Amino acid sequence: MLYLIGLGLGDVEDISVRGLRIARSAVRVYFEMYTSLLQGPDGGVPALEALLGRSVIPADRETLEEKASDILFGAGDGDVAVLVVGDPMAATTHSDLILRAREAGVPVKILHNASIISAVGCTGLQVYRFGAVVSICFWTESWRPRSFAQHVRENLRRGLHTLCLLDIRVKEPDMTALMRGRKEFEPPRFMTVAQAASQLLEIVSQPPTAEASDGESTPEGEPTRDVPDCFTPDTLCIGLARVGLPDEKILAAPLRDLIDVDMGGPLHSFIVCGGLHPLELEFVRQFALDLSKLPQAMK
Amino acid sequence: MVNFTIDEVRAMMEKKTNIRNMSVIAHVDHGKSTLTDSLVSKAGIIAQSKAGEMRFTDTRKDEQERCITIKSTAISMFFELSEADAQLVKGADQIDSTKTRGFLINLIDSPGHVDFSSEVTAALRVTDGALVVVDAVSGVCVQTETVLRQAIAERIKPILFMNKMDRALLELQLQQEDLYQTFARIAESINVIIATYSDESGPMGDIKIDPSKGNCGFGSGLHGWAFTLKQFAEMYSAKFKIDLEKLMRRLWGESFFNPVTKKWANSRETPEHQRAFNMFVLDPLYKIFDAVMKFDKEATAKLLEKLNIELKGEDKEKEGKHLLRVILQKWLPAGEVLFQMITIHLPSPATAQKYRMELLYEGPMDDEAAVAIKACDPKGPLMMYISKMVPTTDKGRFYAFGRVFSGVCATGQKVRIMGPNYVPGKKDDLYEKSIQRTVLMMGRNTEAIEDVPCGNICGLVGVDQFLVKTGTITTFKDAHNLKVMKFSVSPVVRVAVEPKNPADLPKLVEGLKRLAKSDPMVQIIIEESGEHIIAGAGELHLEICLKDLEEDHACIPIKTSDPVVSYRETVSEASSEICLSKSPNKHNRLYMSAVPMPDGLAEDIDSGEITAKQEFKARGRVLADKYGWDVGEARKIWCFGPDTTGPNVLMDVTKGVQYLNEIRDSVIAGFQWSTKEGVLCEENCRGVRFNVHDVTLHADAIHRGGGQIIPTARRCLYACVLTAAPRLLEPVYLVEIQCPEAAVGGIYGVLNRRRGHVIEENQVVGTPMFVVKAYLPVNESFGFTADLRSNTGGQAFPQCIFDHWQILPGDPFDPKTKPAEVVATTRKRKGLKEGIPELSNYLDKL
Repeated sequence: MLYLIGLGLGDVEDISVRGLRIARSAVRVYFEMYTSLLQGPDGGVPALEALLGRSVIPADRETLEEKASDILFGAGDGDVAVLVVGDPMAATTHSDLILRAREAGVPVKILHNASIISAVGCTGLQVYRFGAVVSICFWTESWRPRSFAQHVRENLRRGLHTLCLLDIRVKEPDMTALMRGRKEFEPPRFMTVAQAASQLLEIVSQPPTAEASDGESTPEGEPTRDVPDCFTPDTLCIGLARVGLPDEKILAAPLRDLIDVDMGGPLHSFIVCGGLHPLELEFVRQFALDLSKLPQAMK
Repeated sequence: MVNFTIDEVRAMMEKKTNIRNMSVIAHVDHGKSTLTDSLVSKAGIIAQSKAGEMRFTDTRKDEQERCITIKSTAISMFFELSEADAQLVKGADQIDSTKTRGFLINLIDSPGHVDFSSEVTAALRVTDGALVVVDAVSGVCVQTETVLRQAIAERIKPILFMNKMDRALLELQLQQEDLYQTFARIAESINVIIATYSDESGPMGDIKIDPSKGNCGFGSGLHGWAFTLKQFAEMYSAKFKIDLEKLMRRLWGESFFNPVTKKWANSRETPEHQRAFNMFVLDPLYKIFDAVMKFDKEATAKLLEKLNIELKGEDKEKEGKHLLRVILQKWLPAGEVLFQMITIHLPSPATAQKYRMELLYEGPMDDEAAVAIKACDPKGPLMMYISKMVPTTDKGRFYAFGRVFSGVCATGQKVRIMGPNYVPGKKDDLYEKSIQRTVLMMGRNTEAIEDVPCGNICGLVGVDQFLVKTGTITTFKDAHNLKVMKFSVSPVVRVAVEPKNPADLPKLVEGLKRLAKSDPMVQIIIEESGEHIIAGAGELHLEICLKDLEEDHACIPIKTSDPVVSYRETVSEASSEICLSKSPNKHNRLYMSAVPMPDGLAEDIDSGEITAKQEFKARGRVLADKYGWDVGEARKIWCFGPDTTGPNVLMDVTKGVQYLNEIRDSVIAGFQWSTKEGVLCEENCRGVRFNVHDVTLHADAIHRGGGQIIPTARRCLYACVLTAAPRLLEPVYLVEIQCPEAAVGGIYGVLNRRRGHVIEENQVVGTPMFVVKAYLPVNESFGFTADLRSNTGGQAFPQCIFDHWQILPGDPFDPKTKPAEVVATTRKRKGLKEGIPELSNYLDKL
């Protein structure tokens, strides 16, 4: 049996009792550590091993994506567990592993857990009023995708909030080295609320059609000169850090004010607020960076 | 000999209308360096005790020993036109308003051997005019055409000199009419080349060679005499009372004179009519030759009196050839004639930069730098192109040699040094440093100079460590690069080197770096297996490089492997299916295929006819008209590769795919990677068109980043090649062999043994010599020269020039074929896994 076990929001002790039992008795335990991470030194591996009372195999992207057969080896007879921070089926790309297991005739069980997707409820925003989730990735010199801003705009147009997951790069291959035929890894990086805000601000404050240089149409569906942008530097946003942990931190402010906030260590998330229900607004006011800049609750 | 101080030279540099920058170009052994000597002895500018000694511009010991020019060498000279001649210089930009008669001439002597044609390219870039030297006996040869074509492509104006006339008279004993026909034929061949590669209505105007205009000289560089029709017209114009220019027209071509009736005609109307050229130009020369060579003292003395030549001292004692030389040198001094041709017919920087700017500058045609280059404006921003590195006496350091196109280049000036990979606005390949010193390059020596204004050629000290081979020096913050030179030859022959003593490896690596700098074309490659590879244009080029490396750059004993050839990978059919590859996370899928390019397209890309920088609509039109591509598709070329300029294209033939823009750069990166290191044996790809048919992407940008897409694109492209009947291409030389008739049979034998085949066999008109042209695979050319000599009794001399790529017949998957053997040895040499990788490594199932 292949178990995909959710670890919850970041504290090792968030694992469910059933998950703990299975992990303790499994033949092998893999710990997926590239889509999120646990609190504690070394990505939380020592803390996890202490809790489980056994060794775990840290699994990076390469192991999970390209060496699925190694993970599945022996899973037909014994139990193999893959521990995933958050929920194994939310915001991650493990569906391929399950498909491979099915192909190999290995039964699969999923143990769900809390994920940032549900935990955003802590901001008082109603989960019913969220649109598509987007990720904001680190820009490089030449690779500056802007499509996520478009999703945000679509959500805004329908009055919906957008949860933005922020890029984490742990053990990503260095492309220039890869092209020379060597495998080197970049140092781990985590995007902060401030970085995300400044990338969004750059997109929002760039004049439309600036990209249309080499004879192509503007990137899909970006605003044209005629339609005013609904996503502006004044759009209310919320920065979240270490949700579900003791030192959780939440700040609400217009986008332009979030570009230089310091929210502390990883992991961070980001919300672009759509239209606010009075109750939502009242809840959000307690996280305000500067109360005067927040919209007033309707009487 | 005129002696000038550096200050006087500096003053002359100011007058941009009275400068001529020129190179001497020709086929090997047609006598460039010897001819240059007669110029240097006439007018070397700064006291040169050694001037006059033979082959002044061959500065290296091996050049002197082999009697072959290897590196191009620059020298500055001064020449003063006579009052009357100054009137012949036409155009306001060609001579300054006060009609100053002094001219500064910067001459670059270039090598003639094809293996060193990159040196010629570097020389042409910094000059505006070219003296094309042709051996009157052997005529226009393959390298004459190559260098002339390059000159025209760079908008360099040519003038012609027919050399070795002494041989035509003394050895071949040609009759007057035969000699005239030989000259006419050479001029005609040169004009055919000019007409093929240039356009009369182009910005340079009509650049054809016309002896009656005086832009074609005749003579002997070895004996130091030369003339144009102008010299003879001057002698006769007073006598005939005909205007000089009109008489020059009459002295060439179908123009005849009847000495009895004293009537001119356009055809041989009566038997008394004689061709004017024969009668007025050749006849006097033949008479002198005749009299002197027959030791007829009386006749000689008579002629000398007629020509007003007085022999002095020991010259009187001379006889035969030596006497002939003295007489002709006095009568028709070569230096004087050549300088007149150069100053009157070649353009000044002020003239030339007007039409050369658009070919030189990459940036917008109306920015500050472009305007300054066009006007050759010393007050504009500094724009200088470094075309090559010249070793200094200080080991490991180089002068950066180049041409100032605008502004002034001064010692101590702070400049931007931009390498070929610099992109405006970015910081790659850009340094801001001070110029330590500016120097004048004077053949063997250098002279320090405070500053150098635009239109001149000079060397810089202190910038060599920031440039690999070439680059742009500027003071203008927003300047774009000056265009990188395009070489007519490619480095197709390579050897691996290693130190005899393994402990010397660091010295070897350092030496290789210096070698890469000192030669415009040589490539230094470090293979995955740790081998150091030197790639050059041919055997001789490599031989010289290795010698330099061993003796000058690394100074350690070196072991060299047998030379090997580079190959290219291509496809011979369209992919048998549309190939699918999935990204590591399986959420992104790419669908692509490979198709061979139509014949000629890869060559067009090589020659720059079709480039990445072209406007996409214009390029699409050419591709549609010439190669029958769909216009809509032809506009959607994502990029060229490898190195963004190579002869493979990546085309977007998708229909309405979302987010395609976001993965475009990643797919391009994968394309560059897989065309640089092909799937068969990691050689470059060539002549392959890759189509992107469709892509399926993850909804979220984070899951379709470079880490997911680049390796996937590469795998998919590999699968495309493997399913499209991949083939190897091998480089092929065009060989031109000169030999007497008896040796032709031997040539065929040698060529047949080496997979070569003859394409043309001609007798050189008026001589017993034959010219055989053949194609010969480069791989079979090692030792070819020696083999040929031994089979023809040393009578055949080949010139090999890279011509084209040709499919090596056979399927590389069939282990018995030649391509399979090449793939196996190449993979082994590069330290790759044995055998071509299986298709299943790259092709995924749906």
